[in-house]
Amino acid sequence: MVGPTASLSVLSRADGSASYKCPATGYNILGAVNGPVELPGRRDALKPEDATVEIFIKPGTTTGGVGERATETILKSVLGNLVLGREKGFPRRGVVLTLNIVGGENVERGDSYLTLLPALLHAGLLAMISASIPLSMTLSAALLGVTTSGDIVQNPGPAAAKSVVSLHVLAFSSKGHLLLNESRGRFDFDTWELVRARALSICQGAHDGDVAMGEGENAASVNAFIRETAEDQIYSDYAHKLDSI
Amino acid sequence: MSAPLVLLPSDEVPREHLPSNKSNPLRLGPGLRLLSQPTSQAGDSNHVLTATQAGLLTTDAKRNTVSLLSFPNRRYVPTVNDLIIAQIHHSSIDFFHCIVTPNTAHALLGQLSFEGATKKTRPQLKQGELVYARVQSVGVGAGAEVELTCVNPATGKADGGLGPLVGGMVFDVSTGMAARLIRASSASPDNTDAVEGLVILGELGRKLESLGGFELAVGRNGKVWVDCSNAGESAIAVTVAIGRCLQETDQHNLHPHDQKKLVTRILRDLKLAS
Amino acid sequence: MASTAASAPAVPSLNLPPSQFARLQPHAYLLAHLSPPSASTQPSVRANGRAASQFRVTSANAGSLTHTNGSAVVRIGDTAAVCGVRAELLHTADIASWSVSNASDEEADSATQKGASQNADDDRNQVQDLHLLVPNLSLSTGCAPGLTPGAPPSTLAQSLSHEILSLLHTTNLVKADDLRIWYQPPNLESEEFRNAAEGMEVDSEQNGGPEPEIKAFWVLYIDIMIISWAGNAFDAAWSSVLAALRDTKLPKAWWDADNETILCSDDIADARKLSLRGLPISSSFCSFEADAAAGWRAVVIPSPEELKSQGQKEGSQQRWILADPDGYEEGLCEERALIVVDNEDGKTVILKMDKLGGWGMDSDDLRQLVDVSAERWQEMKQILDQC
Repeated sequence: MVGPTASLSVLSRADGSASYKCPATGYNILGAVNGPVELPGRRDALKPEDATVEIFIKPGTTTGGVGERATETILKSVLGNLVLGREKGFPRRGVVLTLNIVGGENVERGDSYLTLLPALLHAGLLAMISASIPLSMTLSAALLGVTTSGDIVQNPGPAAAKSVVSLHVLAFSSKGHLLLNESRGRFDFDTWELVRARALSICQGAHDGDVAMGEGENAASVNAFIRETAEDQIYSDYAHKLDSI
Repeated sequence: MSAPLVLLPSDEVPREHLPSNKSNPLRLGPGLRLLSQPTSQAGDSNHVLTATQAGLLTTDAKRNTVSLLSFPNRRYVPTVNDLIIAQIHHSSIDFFHCIVTPNTAHALLGQLSFEGATKKTRPQLKQGELVYARVQSVGVGAGAEVELTCVNPATGKADGGLGPLVGGMVFDVSTGMAARLIRASSASPDNTDAVEGLVILGELGRKLESLGGFELAVGRNGKVWVDCSNAGESAIAVTVAIGRCLQETDQHNLHPHDQKKLVTRILRDLKLAS
Repeated sequence: MASTAASAPAVPSLNLPPSQFARLQPHAYLLAHLSPPSASTQPSVRANGRAASQFRVTSANAGSLTHTNGSAVVRIGDTAAVCGVRAELLHTADIASWSVSNASDEEADSATQKGASQNADDDRNQVQDLHLLVPNLSLSTGCAPGLTPGAPPSTLAQSLSHEILSLLHTTNLVKADDLRIWYQPPNLESEEFRNAAEGMEVDSEQNGGPEPEIKAFWVLYIDIMIISWAGNAFDAAWSSVLAALRDTKLPKAWWDADNETILCSDDIADARKLSLRGLPISSSFCSFEADAAAGWRAVVIPSPEELKSQGQKEGSQQRWILADPDGYEEGLCEERALIVVDNEDGKTVILKMDKLGGWGMDSDDLRQLVDVSAERWQEMKQILDQC
C-alpha cells in the first residue's frame, strides 16, 4: 500500500495551508487556515475568552449540503478542541479553516463522510500547524473497515466501504487519547476493541507488536508521517540557518 | 550547538537544549509555554516547557532565551516593541485607526504619538498613508486593542525612523522574511553579508550605489517599504527591482549565491545594470 | 473552585436561591450536586434529580397527525419531537437514469430471492441512489430561547437531518421492496413461450412479457419538528422517526395500463404497514469534567494511562458520564457520545457509535455505555410497542 503524501505552505496568500493526498482512498484535500482574524459579527455570546474555530468544507464538484455541515461539526469539535484559543492574540478572534476536496470520488447524499474523515482531519491539522496556530497536541486518524469474514481492512475506498460490515474512523492524540470515534454498520464491542487496537498501532506505530505484525507495508505510523512532513518543511524553510550551523 | 531540533505541538523541550546561563532568568519566545506537571508531589513544582507550534528550537546563550522558529508564512500577531508598517484606515478625534494585518481589528495610533506633535502640529494623515510604528501595548484580556506609537516614550524622539513614511512603495513579504531582514540588519552593520543567509541587501546596495542608493524600512507584519527618491528618473524601476528581489528571495527561499544571480538578472531585465 | 461550590449553597449569608446559583455558576452548581461533601449522606445526583445513567421519562404517541401516512410525537423529558411521514409517488419514467440502470436492477431484483444479506445491500443501494427517504429536521421557532425566527436552518438542524438520513441508510431500516410498485404485464404470448420462460435462458428484452417491472416508487418525506428543545435533540428526533415509520401505512397502489398512470386504493383495509428491519434505538451521553478549565489550564495533559490510574487512585471522581443530557448539562459538557444499538435474539448489536469533543472517554467508558444503551433499548421497545 502506498503511504499518503502531504506538503505544507502550498498557498502563499493564506496564513497556513497544506495539501494531503491519500492514494488508498484516492482523496486529495487542500486545506487553508487564516487566523487569528476578526470574525464578522463578534461572538460575544459564545466564549469571549476563547478563539472561535470555523471550518468550511467545499466538495469538489457540487455545492456543500447537509452532509458537509455535519462533517464540519465533527471536525470542529475535534480540531477545535486542540486549538489553544487562549494564547496571546487569539481570544475573541477566529481561526478559519477551509478544506477543499480537490480529488477523489464525491460522497453521495446521505452517505456518511467516514471515508473522507481521516484525510480531512490530517489536512486540517497540517494546515493549522502550517499557520502556527497554537495547539495542545497533534492528532492522527485511521479509517478501518470490517469485512464479512471478520477481517480488518485499512483505508477502504468509497466503493470498498459499501461492502464492509462496519466502518470505523478513529482519531488519537499524539499522546494516545481517543479523540474521535465514528463507527457505522453492524458490530459488537469486542470487534470494536480489535479495531481500536489496530487503529492505535496505525496511528502511533506498532509498539504493541501483536497487532500489526507481519505487515511490511505498515512501517511508518501516521504520527511519524505528520512529524516528518512538518520537519521537512521546517528544514527547507530554515535551510539558510541550518547551513551555517 | 547540538543538532537542529524540530518540535511539534505538545513536544517537551529537552533540558539539555536549554541554555545554561544562570545569571539571567530564562526568557521564552513565541510558540513555547510553561506547563506544570500535575502528577508531581505537592510542593515540588515540576515545570515542563512544551511547544504549542511546530518549529525549530533555537537558543541564545548570551541573552538566555529559548524560542521556536515557526513557519515563515504565518500571520503576524502583534507583540510589544515590534516595529511594524501600518496603513491608516481612518482617523477619529484622538486616534488614527491603522491596518496592521488584513482582516483583523484596527490598531490604534494616538494622534499625538508623533515626535513633537501637539494639537496644532500633529501630522494630518489621510486614508491609505503609511506609518512606521512601534507596538506600544497589546492590552490585556480578550479582544483588547493594539496600541501603536511613533515615538520612544522615554525620550519623546522618533528613534530609528519612526513616523509617517512619505513616498516609496510597500511590498508584502512573509513574516519570517521580515524577521530575517530585521535580524540581518541589526546583527552587525559592517558585515550584513552572511547573516541569516541574506546577501541580497548588500548586493543590491553595491549595485545600486551609483543610482543614488535606497532607503528601506522593514515591518514585522511582513511589509517592506522601499524608497529610492534619489534615483531620479529610474526611481520607479529601482523600487520595483528591489521589491521583486526581496519577494522572489522570500517565495523561493533562495540560497545566497542564487540571490546574487537573482539581483543580476532582475537588474538586467529592468535595464538598470549595464 | 470545587470547594467553594460545594459549600456555597449551604452558606446562609449568601442568601441566593438555588435557581439563581444555577444560572450564575452553572458548572459549580452541577459539580456540587454530583460530588456532595463526604460528610453529608447525600447521594451523588445530577441537578435535575436523575442518577448519572438515568434517562428522562419518555413517552411516545403514534398516529396523531391525520393527514400524513404515519406520524408520531415523542417526548423525552422537556424535549419533544413531532415526526410526520408523507409518501409520494416517483414514477420510474421520471427517473433520468432509470432506463440505463434498469437492466442491472432487474438482475439485482431477481437476486433478492437468493439471500437476505444480499437483499439488504441491494435495498440500501436502491433506497440511497434514488433518494427514497428524505428526512428534514427543523428546530421550530420558540423551541429554545436561543433560536431567532426567520433564520435559515441552523448548522445543528442540518447536521441532525444528515445524521438521521445517514442512520436510516446504515441501518437499512426501510425495505426497498415496501416502496416498489410492481406491474405484471398481462401475458399476451402463447403457451409455448411460457414453457420457454421457465427454462430461464430466455432474453427478457425479446418479449417484455411476463417479467414484472417496477413502475413507480414510494418516496417517504420524513419531516421532523422539534417543538421543544431541552437537550438531546437527536434521541428524540430519531425515536420519533422510528415511531412514525412503524406507524406508516402505504395505500395499495397499482399501475393502470389503460390510463397509463398509478392508481391508489382509498380503502384503509388495503393499505399495508412498512415492515422495518430491526429496532435501532439511540442513546446520547455527555461527559462532565470536574475541572471546568481542564481544556486549557497550563498543565501537562496526562496521558491515557495516567488518566486511568488517576481515576482509580483518587477518591474524588473527576468525570461523570451523564445519560440523556438536558439542555443545561449539554451546555456544560464538551465531550459527547452517541450509541445506537439493536437487539437481535437477545444479542446486542451496535449500529453506530460516535464519540467526540474531548479526550476523556475511552474503551472502558464506551463498554459501559453500550451496556446502558442495551438497557435503554428494552425500555424504549416497551414504550414504542405501546404507542
